[in-house]
Amino acid sequence: MSVYDAGLLSDIGILLLGALSVYIILATGQLSLGNAGFMGIGAYLTSWLTVVAGLPITAALIVAALVSGAIGVAVGFPALRLKGIYLAMATLGFGEMVRSFFQNFSAMGGSEGFHGMHHVSTGYIWTWAAIVLVLIMLIEASPIWLEIRAVRDDETAAGLVGLNPTEIKVGAFGCGAAVAAIAGGLFAHHHVYIEPGNFSFERSIDFVLAVILGGSTVAPGALAGAVILVVLPEYLRFLADWRFAAFGALLIGMLLVRRQGLLDRALLRFAWPRSRA
Amino acid sequence: MLRVRDLVVRYGAIQAVRGIGLDIAQGEIVALIGANGAGKTTVARAIAGLLPYRGEIAFEGEVLKPNNAERNLHHGISLVPEGRGILGTMTVQDNLLMGLYVRRDKAQAMKDLAALLERFSILAERRHLLASLMSGGEQQMLAIARALLSKPKLLLLDEPSLGLAPKMTDAVFTMIQDLRREGLTVLLVEQKARQTLKIADRAYLVETGRVITSGPAKEMIDDPVVSETFLGGRATAAHP
Repeated sequence: MSVYDAGLLSDIGILLLGALSVYIILATGQLSLGNAGFMGIGAYLTSWLTVVAGLPITAALIVAALVSGAIGVAVGFPALRLKGIYLAMATLGFGEMVRSFFQNFSAMGGSEGFHGMHHVSTGYIWTWAAIVLVLIMLIEASPIWLEIRAVRDDETAAGLVGLNPTEIKVGAFGCGAAVAAIAGGLFAHHHVYIEPGNFSFERSIDFVLAVILGGSTVAPGALAGAVILVVLPEYLRFLADWRFAAFGALLIGMLLVRRQGLLDRALLRFAWPRSRA
Repeated sequence: MLRVRDLVVRYGAIQAVRGIGLDIAQGEIVALIGANGAGKTTVARAIAGLLPYRGEIAFEGEVLKPNNAERNLHHGISLVPEGRGILGTMTVQDNLLMGLYVRRDKAQAMKDLAALLERFSILAERRHLLASLMSGGEQQMLAIARALLSKPKLLLLDEPSLGLAPKMTDAVFTMIQDLRREGLTVLLVEQKARQTLKIADRAYLVETGRVITSGPAKEMIDDPVVSETFLGGRATAAHP
């Protein structure tokens, strides 16, 4: 595999994790535009743990996921009071707050960034991506997913059958934040250099786009979306400066034709008739 | 079985329920009737544990905590809300499985589900259909069936006839009577006063958050206040 292909594949794996972090939260009916903030927390914390504290990368990723997950739970509680566009704006604010924090946090390089991490391979990135994707697909096939979907459908009705919507929504925020942190840690150790600008609002939008494009009702949709977002611009290179405009037009066309995204349950059931998709 | 005393519920500055008291005995159908906005739904939602309130709600001798729907469901209080509260993007079967969520006796619960599907054959036929694609009457059946799967002792039905065709409304009211015969206690919140009073044992007439009058349902049909306000002011004898 060429270095170029390996780079693309790594980018897909990291974007897949970022998209899955949004997908978990979206599954409960909440839209987060701040997952780049959780990714940034994961990137900086993992880097500090490996470079300064000397922890192995896997242990550092787990610690960063736990810390970011706890922060996600803390963010999830006030987010319970908000819905729709207001929640999206609040999470966007959180993401920008995190970026701004690292911009001014000189102990981790501030605006000059942080380096010194060891490079991780594409295989390592994909091991994490595959583990998280399979884990979410297993949850999708379990009764837990019914509970999550019930909360998304109608919180009051979910409460009336004995579910605790608060726990489920806050838990989803925590899990999403943990997965975003893993994406951040892998990003930092793949590029071996990070700066606050890596975790800006545009990164959060990429995560959401991957989910919306690939399919927001099934976890493999995040994979399809990540592939489209990373690979398609490369195939449009012959358009030179026009390629992003063409990419945008393709996105609009795709959403007009297939609002639910590329993959959905019906398509997966058609492709794998015996699956529970 | 259920005792409500001095119930006060506020939505911000608005006092929706102003000191309501009511009692429900085991095996009764008790009706809460009144105009739109009278506070009936708020009372049902407070009993189900969906709202904060002042006053006291006691079930089987135990005082319930406000705003604790999950706990109340475990106590045996199940609400079929106004608008049915079905989970539209889920299949009929998945909706029913959600009804089993609070059950600890999973093996018996699955047997109950099978028995219920025999009873509600339309749900069995439509079990793989998305719940949102069913008719209003079928959705109401599903909502009631899902509530029954949690094995409630007290079933709260909020406007079960809302938006239903007359024939389907009759079917729902017949089902409520069947459930009572099987020993279930029902609090029926309805605007269709005449039909409700015909199947209820006792009734409370609610207006602007207060109980205006109460008594045996059959007597309330002839109550001048009820007749004037909700039955078009016509003598019941003329409309048996």
